[in-house]
Amino acid sequence: MTEAILSIDGLKKQFGGVVATDNVTLDVAAGDLQCIIGPNGAGKSTFFALLCGLHELDGGGIVFKGKDITRMLPSRRVREGLGLTFQTNRVFGSLSVRQNLEIPLASIRGERGILAEDRYRMALERFDLDRQDETQAANIPHHKRQWLEIAMVLAGGPDLLLLDEPTAGMAPEETGNTAAVLRDLNRTGLTILVVEHDMAFVRKIARRVTVLHQGRVFADGTIDEVTARQDVRDIYLGRR
Amino acid sequence: MDVIGVVASVVYQFCTNAAFLLLCALGLIIILGMMNIINLAHGELMMMGAYAASASYSRGAPFWLAAIIAFVAVGIFGAVLEATIVRRFYGRELGALVVTWGVSLVLSQGFLLLFGPFMPPIQIPEGNIALGQYSFSYYWISMFLIAALLVAALWWIYNRTDIGLQARATMQNPAMARALGVDTRRIYMMTFTLGAALAGLSGALLAPTTSIMPFMGQQFVAPAFITVVVGGATNVIAGAVGSSLLLSLVKTPVGFFLGAFLGTVALLLAALIIIRLLPDGISAAIQRRLDLRHRMR
Amino acid sequence: MANPFSLLNGPEDLGRGPVFWGGAAIVVALFLAVPLYLSDFAAYNVSYYLLNIPMALGLCLLWGYCGVLSFGQVAYFGIAGYAYGVIAGNFVGHSWGPMLGSLGGLVMAAIVAAVFGYFVFFARVQIWILPILTLVLTLLLETFLGQTAGYQWRVGVVQLGGYNGMTGIPAFQIGDFVFSGYSFFYLALGLALVCYLACRMLVNSRHGKVMLAIREDALRTEMLGYDIRVRQWLVFVLAALLAALSGLLYVQWGNYITPSQVGLLSAALPVIWVAVGGREKLLAVVIGTYALNWLNYQLSSSGNQYALVIIGALLVIVMVFFPRGLVVSLADLAGRRSAPSEASTARVRG
Repeated sequence: MTEAILSIDGLKKQFGGVVATDNVTLDVAAGDLQCIIGPNGAGKSTFFALLCGLHELDGGGIVFKGKDITRMLPSRRVREGLGLTFQTNRVFGSLSVRQNLEIPLASIRGERGILAEDRYRMALERFDLDRQDETQAANIPHHKRQWLEIAMVLAGGPDLLLLDEPTAGMAPEETGNTAAVLRDLNRTGLTILVVEHDMAFVRKIARRVTVLHQGRVFADGTIDEVTARQDVRDIYLGRR
Repeated sequence: MDVIGVVASVVYQFCTNAAFLLLCALGLIIILGMMNIINLAHGELMMMGAYAASASYSRGAPFWLAAIIAFVAVGIFGAVLEATIVRRFYGRELGALVVTWGVSLVLSQGFLLLFGPFMPPIQIPEGNIALGQYSFSYYWISMFLIAALLVAALWWIYNRTDIGLQARATMQNPAMARALGVDTRRIYMMTFTLGAALAGLSGALLAPTTSIMPFMGQQFVAPAFITVVVGGATNVIAGAVGSSLLLSLVKTPVGFFLGAFLGTVALLLAALIIIRLLPDGISAAIQRRLDLRHRMR
Repeated sequence: MANPFSLLNGPEDLGRGPVFWGGAAIVVALFLAVPLYLSDFAAYNVSYYLLNIPMALGLCLLWGYCGVLSFGQVAYFGIAGYAYGVIAGNFVGHSWGPMLGSLGGLVMAAIVAAVFGYFVFFARVQIWILPILTLVLTLLLETFLGQTAGYQWRVGVVQLGGYNGMTGIPAFQIGDFVFSGYSFFYLALGLALVCYLACRMLVNSRHGKVMLAIREDALRTEMLGYDIRVRQWLVFVLAALLAALSGLLYVQWGNYITPSQVGLLSAALPVIWVAVGGREKLLAVVIGTYALNWLNYQLSSSGNQYALVIIGALLVIVMVFFPRGLVVSLADLAGRRSAPSEASTARVRG
């Protein structure tokens, strides 16, 4: 049984009167490629934000690579090996592609391991990103910007990659390319957790799928197991 | 030991300090809550209110009328300022800070050149209540009552009128409000005008306590800013009231034992500590409580 | 550390390449030759324009490169000036007095900045809180210094002097060499140059790039592994040290300091120099600071009472019509004229 790289236990988060995350417990095995799905408002992005320490937890704990990171600062979690791309694509818009790629390179972690270096180079090549490109990041096509963000995060050499809707707004061809790159990255041993809406994309990449609903883990299993369930269909159709 | 006198005196001091802070900060907080902009010309708007009041008062107007004139005059000026300069900086908070600071410089220096270094002072309205060795001036008691009245009026406007509803919607989510047909530009204009008018009114009301000169705004600016920083922008009225009360709780004993200046220093220290614990100000904490209570019902 | 020349010649400030450096060398030579064509008195005035440059550079780093606006840089100017006055004034007759005083001034300013910065940066407050609180700090400092008029307000033998300020502050000396007149001019020029070049190297370095990233998107930068609070705090302390350096030079230049140096009007000036010059480029700020100080002198020395109104109005006009600053806008124009296909540079956001 592969060891869990990420162990989440009883995560709770409330915003004012709204419960965003309700006692979420799940494990992510090292080397896994897992998707988090669920209807709108299920709390998927909040879940990622909590993993990264962007909000304070109301309860529960997170263990990453054997370390308790529940109280750790976000920047420290990243240095421990966590990487996040945002739902609304965040790169440095007014800086050039070159400058964007230079910023993570200056990371405090210093030398990236050979594995991380390989992954980064692969992403640059497959995403067709040029390290010397002086174009302003705000002026490159949307899907390139998404890819740029992934490359920037890979530059830090993470052990767990969190992607929040990486193919939002992408055409089918680009979605296919993204899926292929993620699969290949995963084959090198990189653990990847993806929040997604696009079921076709989920099918292409996911080995395991977790369904969130109203802040709780609703279902868990392979994509076929999960989509076969009537109750999962019901929550998507708003019947629950 | 004249216990009643001592207690009354302490309460009086507390209320006086709170009223002062509230009057200094009210105009500023309203603008901050709506547009997320700190109007650095706030002190100069108060100064202009004092000038308007002084000019009216020395021509024979009773104090209450002079204050109303100040309210209207500075409100009009605020509207002009908003239309010409401030509205270009919505969404650019730091830019707004700098440009309003430029405006404050032009106003204070300009008034110095136009009207000279002093304006005729306004005497503190006579009369006080005596309790043993302690006296409580009518002036400060009425300042406290006026401050309370203003808060009540603002609360009523924001929570019980149509325009107040539109204003609250704009505060929460301008894009959504616009989509629902709210004229947000008009709301911003009205809010800034109201904030300026309140600054002018406060300047007029507090004018009797000080000499009326072009740089008089400075003495109000530090307390106003501290009150606003502690209050935060989440819930304008709760922030203003809560902050004034909390800070007065700090300032009253310190000011009493160690003097006015150290009282203000204590305010700054309190503000630093409070924002360390509650980065979004106490109004955010109050709003959380209100939200929770709402959900429990 | 990367090649120092490439750090100096990097893209994050105005001007690069042999033509630029050639021109710069000529300008510096002109300044070095000042005793040949300027009187003692004229050089004294130019010294004043130069000594304000470090403070402006500090604010430029903080605001233009890091996105953190401080309205209270003059507080550190004043703290260092008064500290120097107190320390050097108590050790008159000892040749190391001024050096000790300078050190003391820098240390005190750094401590105040470090403590103040701790409360603000580590609290993750809203963006407008720092400008307001730094302004309040400097206003309180002015009020405090203003009421130190009595004889009891002294440290050792040095009177703080209340609103009239501290007078008779000793000039700076190293060993037995006293800096005054032309020698002080060279001191101010040398320090301004060194500070500028050092800042230029900083912004072109890795740390400079991270500063830009923090300014552009602090959250994204944090999620790339950088502790943004520590970095902002460090730049804040650095800016305070630069302001303190200007304060030290000021008291060594004029031999006096008053509380108005930390007051509202004085506090506005660095913001105006940086905004009008162009906060995103160090060189623009240097030029803006020098030019505005020169302008201020021309206006006030000719008895023009409108000096401050004009400068305030200039700030408003520049913020509304030239938000990137006058010098930067001019440089942009020149750049577009010569190379219209170049990729556009960073855009300003309020």
